[in-house]
Amino acid sequence: MLMKDNAIVFKGTKEGLYIVLKEEMIFDDIIHELENKIKPSKRFFEGAKIVNFKGKNLTPGEYEELVDILQNQYGMQFLGDYDSLCRSTALSKEESKGQLIPEPVKQSLGNEETALFIKGTIRSGQLIKANGNIVVLGDVNPGAYLEATGSIIVMGNMRGTGHSGTQGDYNTYIAAFRLEPMQLRIGDIINRPPDGNQYKSKVPEMAVVRKGMIIVEPYLGKK
Amino acid sequence: MGEVIVITSGKGGVGKTTTTANIGTGLALEGKSVVLLDADIGLRNLDVVMGLENRIVYDLVDVVDGICRMKQALIKDKRYPNLYLMPAAQTKDKNAVNPEQMLKLTKELAEEYDYILVDCPAGIEQGFKNAIVGANRSIVVTTPEVSAVRDADRIIGLLEANGLRNPQLIINRVKIDMVKRGDMMNIDDMVDILAIDLLGVIPDDEYIVVSTNRGEPAISDSKSLAGQAYKNIVKRILGENVPFMNLDSDEGFMSKLAKVFGFRKK
Repeated sequence: MLMKDNAIVFKGTKEGLYIVLKEEMIFDDIIHELENKIKPSKRFFEGAKIVNFKGKNLTPGEYEELVDILQNQYGMQFLGDYDSLCRSTALSKEESKGQLIPEPVKQSLGNEETALFIKGTIRSGQLIKANGNIVVLGDVNPGAYLEATGSIIVMGNMRGTGHSGTQGDYNTYIAAFRLEPMQLRIGDIINRPPDGNQYKSKVPEMAVVRKGMIIVEPYLGKK
Repeated sequence: MGEVIVITSGKGGVGKTTTTANIGTGLALEGKSVVLLDADIGLRNLDVVMGLENRIVYDLVDVVDGICRMKQALIKDKRYPNLYLMPAAQTKDKNAVNPEQMLKLTKELAEEYDYILVDCPAGIEQGFKNAIVGANRSIVVTTPEVSAVRDADRIIGLLEANGLRNPQLIINRVKIDMVKRGDMMNIDDMVDILAIDLLGVIPDDEYIVVSTNRGEPAISDSKSLAGQAYKNIVKRILGENVPFMNLDSDEGFMSKLAKVFGFRKK
């Protein structure tokens, strides 16, 4: 399921939008996946400028067919040509081998695959589930639930219950500008703020797993 | 075309019915034609609060079932110009009416009257769905208690999910002394959590109990502090920009009076 989700990825670069195809995919699947991906948000993609495909070698016939579908069925503009596809595919292979991925300074936090972005207040009784990460531009109120297989970032007050790494990933984290949660769960570990006076957070913080426990610490250096 | 305003809270006992009665009366006093629609089928109260209980012949369920015409079920409140009550049935339950029927009824009412105020029952079930279906504006009532605020938050989420954008907030029964001592939730904190526009703050006022028992809305009494707060809310609903009352009871009479007339100290 997860593989299928990423079978086709739209990737923005400086030059424009690329459609990245998985190398092991067969042609029929590509057409099918394209439809799955574009149909639900057809209007969004209308008029989009596609530079080229990436990641898979296509035959000239296949190439023509795909370009035809994108242009005539989905109303996209296609800028590339077949020759540049061959070049870029070769290039991207090299890239992926010897690419300059900066060495993570401390540890890599969570996977960087997909994120669900939500703007607005998440209120009591609302459950947000994501296969990937969750980013909330707003507050999460008490009684609301966030569940992500990846990490959770709240650009606001986190007062609800957050569960990151729902499939058991302890490298995920829950971060917020103000982390005053009802309860936090990472993987199968559960923790909650200490009893007594309501905990007030003064600086942005994140919850991570250390030695089998969830701990909360500021993620900005001390000023 | 009139406006249909639903008054809701999630939690029971926070003052939905009192608020409906007072705002409705206030709008009628401002010269608008108003229908108070009690959607709390089976546990009706609005008629009691308005002192019109003994005049009920037909009710909301009779109207949607076609037993009577809409006008027959509307009780005119003779004390005010253009104030009507559509009572709920007491012998049925919430399932006696479905959302389509409510939508039709509120539409018909909105064609003839300026404001339709729907008194929503507590809870989030059928009664709630019936009450909000025809509304194009919503007011959420809460009190400064954690449980009431939690329920209000849930209700706001449900209202927004049902297309009622920008609900407005009334915080009822605020005890200023307690807020000052830090024993009661701060108004700013509540607005911060709920993240919606504040329509008004009603101070805790013993007179409300008296007026409710008498069947005369507090807004009609100039001595009631809560009545004054409701008057301001009515003006805000009508689009006027009224400053928030300073509820500080340590203030002298003159400065309180000055506040009422809209002069500011600072």
